[in-house]
Amino acid sequence: MTLLKRMYDWIDVRLGARELVDKELFGYLLPRNINVWYSMGSILLFIFAFQVVTGILLLIFYVPDSEKAFGSVTHIMNNVPFGWLIRMCHVVGSNMMVLVLLFHMISVLFMGSYKRPRELNWLTGFIIFNLVMGISLTGYLLPWSQLSFWATTVATNSVGTIPVIGQYLVEFLRGGKLVGPATLGRFYALHVAVIPLTIAALVGLHLFLLERIGVSTPPFGLKDTKNNWQSDKFRYEGHPDGIPFFPNYALQDMTSIAVYLAFFLAIVFFDPYLFFPKDAFIAANPYQTPAHIKPEWYFLANYQTLKIFPSEFLGLAVQGVAMTFLALLPFIDRGNERHPLKRPLFMACSVGGILLWIGLMIWGHYS
Amino acid sequence: MKTDRYTPTSRGWGLYCLVLLLLLAICPAPSQAAEPAEIVCIQCHSALPDKLGEPVKLWKGSIHAENGIACNGCHGGDPKDAANAMSPQRGFLGAPKEKDIPAFCGRCHVGVLKDYLASAHGMALGKGGPTCVTCHSNHLVVKASLDLINEKSCTRCHSFERAQTIKSAMQQTENLIIATDTKIGSFKSQGVDTDRLEKGLFALRNRFHSLFHEVNVAKVRDESTQIMGELKKLDGELQGIEEARGKRKIAGAVAVAAALLAAMLLYLLKKTYD
Repeated sequence: MTLLKRMYDWIDVRLGARELVDKELFGYLLPRNINVWYSMGSILLFIFAFQVVTGILLLIFYVPDSEKAFGSVTHIMNNVPFGWLIRMCHVVGSNMMVLVLLFHMISVLFMGSYKRPRELNWLTGFIIFNLVMGISLTGYLLPWSQLSFWATTVATNSVGTIPVIGQYLVEFLRGGKLVGPATLGRFYALHVAVIPLTIAALVGLHLFLLERIGVSTPPFGLKDTKNNWQSDKFRYEGHPDGIPFFPNYALQDMTSIAVYLAFFLAIVFFDPYLFFPKDAFIAANPYQTPAHIKPEWYFLANYQTLKIFPSEFLGLAVQGVAMTFLALLPFIDRGNERHPLKRPLFMACSVGGILLWIGLMIWGHYS
Repeated sequence: MKTDRYTPTSRGWGLYCLVLLLLLAICPAPSQAAEPAEIVCIQCHSALPDKLGEPVKLWKGSIHAENGIACNGCHGGDPKDAANAMSPQRGFLGAPKEKDIPAFCGRCHVGVLKDYLASAHGMALGKGGPTCVTCHSNHLVVKASLDLINEKSCTRCHSFERAQTIKSAMQQTENLIIATDTKIGSFKSQGVDTDRLEKGLFALRNRFHSLFHEVNVAKVRDESTQIMGELKKLDGELQGIEEARGKRKIAGAVAVAAALLAAMLLYLLKKTYD
């Protein structure tokens, strides 16, 4: 104990560690009515870190060569000690990341936390969401299975519907006319370096914005649920009567992470094949198109949208408009009210949008 | 399309664009998933009536169609050139005469041809004995199984008694082969490396299938017993995999319980601060 205290003192006199801990942990106050939805961000941080760790472990044995990729993944699953567990964790984790990210975004939507002055928090979060979709898509190709190969073929085909430059873009994405070794090289670089580093940088920016602007107050259990932000000058939104981050909310974060872990481990150990169609374990064969190639659950709504419209370009354009609208939501929705029940138009649009998305997803699954 | 600010460097910008393009490309569509174009034989014969069109319908339900063996695989010819599709210069063979059928099929099924020719059926070739298509059909060729030995089929030429005895001797082995195949398929669809097991079963199945043309009951019984022994070894390995998976689930249950316990303790601890 004395040794630990001496070490802490050593650091303290050099870095002012005590002051930092007092300010950022015990002195960092959060709204009294903060709820469990605020811990989604911490769960996401945990998942991201877990994905990085399992990803690095997979990198030790994975070979990014179209001749060897499938074999290396099979080797990981069957011969590397706990390789199956590491891969299952990585695959299930990637799906969980999208799911929790959706919960996080929906909670931010319904609590009106995206409103002024937090437009940039929303925007960075939205870009992170898109990058997570991108990292999932690029990771899909790496095992070089039938599923990987054909899902990537049809996904990259969609870009070809863009007028004039479509075919050029398809070749740019694939590194050639067809999905092949060059595509694997590109997707590998994106999956293990470019996208994770960009996500990490944006997560840092997202947290910086959270720290700088202050945590929003949930609109529940309050009389005044209006957004009282004034645009004349910068003001930190403090909560002088709030609860300390440590230990109070840190314990909530840890509880949520433990509940998440239980759910996550239950899938990993009992039904990881929820995320593995049969074609995921057959080596890629460019000469044999599987009968039914369906994208992952989080792309099913996009997939079905493309099928509904008479042309794929129209389907892509509609999705582009919807995504742009979502990205710019804080700049479009400039009302001051934050309580969802006092925003009937918002409620109707949001619930309708979510139901539409789920409906398209189910339709896409069974179509 | 989003226009995120970014300081471009030639390579970095390209990669960043790639990320953005990927975001646009996240929507797989089935439309252009390449389906092999129909060969000219099928294009023409599908539209022809009766005897000339019938083979196409039958072939579509065959094991040959399932494995991508089309008309030209057996009959030769040029499946890409309608005008010369049936030209002998392009290797078109047409339909073989009855006595030539075993050699016609045996170009691919070399081992089976050998077994057939050594069997009582093969020895009667050209003397009223059956050819391959008598039992296996010509275009609706189904996967070889014991179902081919049945009263209706065999009694066209002789009594069913001996065939029945042979079939009974082989039935248990056949069932075990099917069960083992299903188990291997199930493990394969879960990422288990079944390559060696599949090869082992393939060899045993071939060995077993060579008995299909054998009419010596004692030999069939003896060989079936040996194959059963080998199959049981394979089954033992599969059971080992099953047991390992069971252990994983127990470990999983412990891990889930530990996480739930931790969640409960952390929640109670949080409550003490509330």
